[in-house]
Amino acid sequence: MDTLLTADLAARSANFRRRSSTYVDAIHDLPEKESMAPAQLYSTESGRLFHSGRIVIATVGLPARGKTHTSVALARYLRWLGVKTHIFHLGDYRRAQIGSKDEVPDDYFFVNASTSSVLLRNKILRKCREDILNFLNHENGQIAIYDAVNPLAVGRRALAKEFEKHNVQTLFIESHCTDERIIEDNVRSVKISSPDYKGWQPEDAVQDYLNRINARIPHYETMEESELHYVKMINAGSRVVVNNCSFGYLSQRIVFYLLNLHIKSRQTYFCRAGTTSEEESYKADASLSDEGRDYMVKMSETLLAHREAERQSLIAHGAPESTALKPLTIWTSTRRRTVETSQYLEEKGYRVRQRSQMSQLNPGVCEKMSERKIRQMFPEEVSKHEQDPYHHRYPRAESYHDLAVRLEPIILELEREQNDLLIIAHESVLRVLYGYLMACSATDIPNLSFPRNEIIEIIPASYNNSAKRVHIPDLNPKLVPGSPEGIAMPVAPSGTGTPFSIGSPGTRTPESSSREASGGAVPLWRAAIGQSALQASFDAAKQTQTQNAELSPAQKSLAQNINSSPTSAPSSDVPALNVTTALSPLKETTPVLDITPASPPPKEDGAQQ
Amino acid sequence: MTPSAMPLNEPTSAPREDQPQYRPDLNRAPQGDFMRPSMRTRTRSNSKTNGVGVQVEDTRICVVMVGLPARGKSLIAQKVVRYLAWLSITAKCFNVGSYRRTNTPNPSASFFDVSNKEGERLRMAAAEAAVNDMCKWFRSPNNLIAILDATNSTKARRRWIKDRCDAEGIETLFVESKCDDEELIMSNIKEVKTTSPDYVGQDPEVAAQDFRERIRMYERVYETLDEDEADMTYCKIINVGSQVIINRIQDYLQSRVVYYLMNLHIKPRSIWISRHGESNYNLSGQIGGDADLSSRGQLYAKALPDLVSKSAGDRNLTVWTSTLKRTGQTARYLPYEKLSWKALDELDSGVCDGLTYAEIEKQYPQDFRARDEDKYNYRYLGGESYRDVVIRLEPIIMELERSENILIVTHQAVLRCIYAYFMGSDQERSPWMEVPLHCLIRLTPRAYGTQEERMFADVPAVSTWREKGSKAVHADTPTASAKASPMIKPQSKGEAIA
Repeated sequence: MDTLLTADLAARSANFRRRSSTYVDAIHDLPEKESMAPAQLYSTESGRLFHSGRIVIATVGLPARGKTHTSVALARYLRWLGVKTHIFHLGDYRRAQIGSKDEVPDDYFFVNASTSSVLLRNKILRKCREDILNFLNHENGQIAIYDAVNPLAVGRRALAKEFEKHNVQTLFIESHCTDERIIEDNVRSVKISSPDYKGWQPEDAVQDYLNRINARIPHYETMEESELHYVKMINAGSRVVVNNCSFGYLSQRIVFYLLNLHIKSRQTYFCRAGTTSEEESYKADASLSDEGRDYMVKMSETLLAHREAERQSLIAHGAPESTALKPLTIWTSTRRRTVETSQYLEEKGYRVRQRSQMSQLNPGVCEKMSERKIRQMFPEEVSKHEQDPYHHRYPRAESYHDLAVRLEPIILELEREQNDLLIIAHESVLRVLYGYLMACSATDIPNLSFPRNEIIEIIPASYNNSAKRVHIPDLNPKLVPGSPEGIAMPVAPSGTGTPFSIGSPGTRTPESSSREASGGAVPLWRAAIGQSALQASFDAAKQTQTQNAELSPAQKSLAQNINSSPTSAPSSDVPALNVTTALSPLKETTPVLDITPASPPPKEDGAQQ
Repeated sequence: MTPSAMPLNEPTSAPREDQPQYRPDLNRAPQGDFMRPSMRTRTRSNSKTNGVGVQVEDTRICVVMVGLPARGKSLIAQKVVRYLAWLSITAKCFNVGSYRRTNTPNPSASFFDVSNKEGERLRMAAAEAAVNDMCKWFRSPNNLIAILDATNSTKARRRWIKDRCDAEGIETLFVESKCDDEELIMSNIKEVKTTSPDYVGQDPEVAAQDFRERIRMYERVYETLDEDEADMTYCKIINVGSQVIINRIQDYLQSRVVYYLMNLHIKPRSIWISRHGESNYNLSGQIGGDADLSSRGQLYAKALPDLVSKSAGDRNLTVWTSTLKRTGQTARYLPYEKLSWKALDELDSGVCDGLTYAEIEKQYPQDFRARDEDKYNYRYLGGESYRDVVIRLEPIIMELERSENILIVTHQAVLRCIYAYFMGSDQERSPWMEVPLHCLIRLTPRAYGTQEERMFADVPAVSTWREKGSKAVHADTPTASAKASPMIKPQSKGEAIA
């Protein structure tokens, strides 16, 4: 059965907002344990930042103005900050209530609609608002993003007043467009792939869409209500009006984030630093070894070749011969090994910047200790770490959480950066940055694996970024797992592109093994980790390589499922990417909730209905 | 330091076996500046391999203040310069008024009348001189941000500035402070302007009267930033942030400045800072570590609530501590809400963690000297420099600007950095500042500069202060206030020093 029916089923359930029917991705899954957020400044029992109240962020703007893009990006950032956030798309409620497009009353979007349409509209609105309040009042939610058109001043005032009664602040974010080209591009790239237009011809869909917008234009009022809190973004942020917004920590963070958010697509590449002569020592800050320098050359050459191939493929798809890629900028930490790994590209004239915030996770007292020694000396710390590898901090060390807080300014700069970007960093740093870009849950971040023989390419998309791995050929296999055997530093030291995250080598947490047992629902990351964990560390190198190069049948079918699901339609014009969307770890690790079926919906749902 | 204090060639100076081998140039690793102009790309184009694109560090920005007199422009300008300097971004403020003053030191209001041709000519000449100096200043590659502090009240004047900057390849960011709140304006006039150099030696009442007259002159021709200037990058702040309009922000540095401006507020408030109580490491003279408080340190923790309430009265404070035990223990008895921030942890001294200064000098003699030479930039092997600490404190400063009354219990190096931000101390001196233990510092931001007040708890403690080039023994000083130094003036409780 199609998405619409399952959406209908879901909407009638008590827990509808847990899973949106429209864009089933990491952002729209609500993790059960929200306290596990990547960059929370400090934690409280309620899971809320106490120096900031509860906020409803209500979007304002006609369709195809980038409202959903903004909400999704904002939700990703806020969650990463540790703020319990959820998006409520009014469109989902409408589709759930009414069903497919044909049954929407003609005057549904009109201001002077018939009584029955108005009643229908109110019913849908009420359901959505009830869910929002439930989320904020009973589930420790801190920010609810209410994604709707909210076209009229009177409606917005009423909305703010209603939430005010529940002691909730309302912050409006208006996406306003005066540039027709932005709107049309947006319609083409995003809107006609929405479930509303399933089965339509693209041209008809665009036309219908624009007509729908036109029908509403006479009744749209841009925000001028000076007493309300609002941010008005005009033409994708080229002009921003911030009204009455200094009411809290979060509102200021949101505004700063919006200032830096830009929609232009650019590539981000992640790669590891080369190996050093004193691999196991954090404090030594050693220089690259010979193998490390060899890695530097091969990595750089692979990246340049890959970029050239991408340029050629653009030309092959009809771009002019003179097409140039965006300039490439390189960021490294101030640690010696990452700086030196960038030398080859720097000599070729690429711009390199060092950022002290990007230094690796500080291992504290556990530096240079073998896993056995750590277990001997700090048995209590080890058991605490095993319970919460993300937040636990060894004596004098940093936790991943500390690292994420440290990296927060980098994240904003990352959003603002216009050039393509290569980040050469330690694995722990890559984990956190990747965790942000791919909206991973905190439980997964310490286990992400970045073997040295791969460059990770992050491809931005409107709702959900996707990742792609570029293989670096001919590397000395010793380099790939990197570290000498036996360093199972609790926080995965430099070089362990291997399973020794914590716990004894070669064993997996019960959680991950049970997932593996369930077949296709294993993300590639986990699969690679689980498989290679069984190998001795040197063998693991080769194993990891092959695991990533070839997909197992189960993974293939998973990838195909995703490929064929309507939800992945926005990126289906780039076939290679669909396979890799399965890399987002959160998607599969979030438990499937209640009666809402996992995406893609299996046939049985229709039969039940 | 006497030569005898440096046993350079003695065998004892060699690193211990279990220490990583010492490499003298390690602390010269790149410093990872917040922003630093790249000399290379300025002089040599890399367009062949890399195309052309936005290079953040290449941007030079002229922040042009716009607004009627008494709208807090100079206050904003001065804060931005201080903030950027603290982040090691070279910034300078060019005040057109001070150029004009060289010719007309005490002008009357009629000087500012637009129909006064001579006044108009002189004011234009002053603007021209300021812009010329600014362009000259930008030719030095380290200089990144200039602030042109003047009313710049007409579109024509602003267009002229933009054209001048465009020709020099300098980006412009106009910052308008617009205010209709009469009360705010009058309080600003009274507090600041009547002490302005223009009115030296005049009766304050007359001065205020003349100043209001001057504002009226400007009001007649004042044009606010609007649609006609949609091509410009600007940030318009209306009634101290109740509405902000941000137009065409080009890069991260600009957005950073704008974000900083948006976090500023003018509500009166104070910030109290204290080091933790004396720790066991302080007693033994070791640095770093995560030691517990000594018994005297615990006495300080007990004395702190009284000391704070004497100064803060019944204000509701929020306490920020680091994640290390000694700050949490020090704040233990304070009856306020507490937050612990990892970013407030002490400077990480890497391999030297847990050593005494004497041991460091013995084991890492070259490091020890290098640190004395450039303490701000010196990064401990495997640890941090003061510069690194400043970068990690930046979000804390932003949050401090936004907050009201805060009490911070933290560590020596971190406290020095926060203090340097508020007092605008330079990087050369701030790492050497003496901050005694068991002393509470109150900082109150004012329109021009920050007021400081120090209160001592009557609990003795060792002094952990090491003079530049000295041997650094943590001497037990009988009372912390007994010793006078350039950075600290002991005084009776409650007495403010500006």
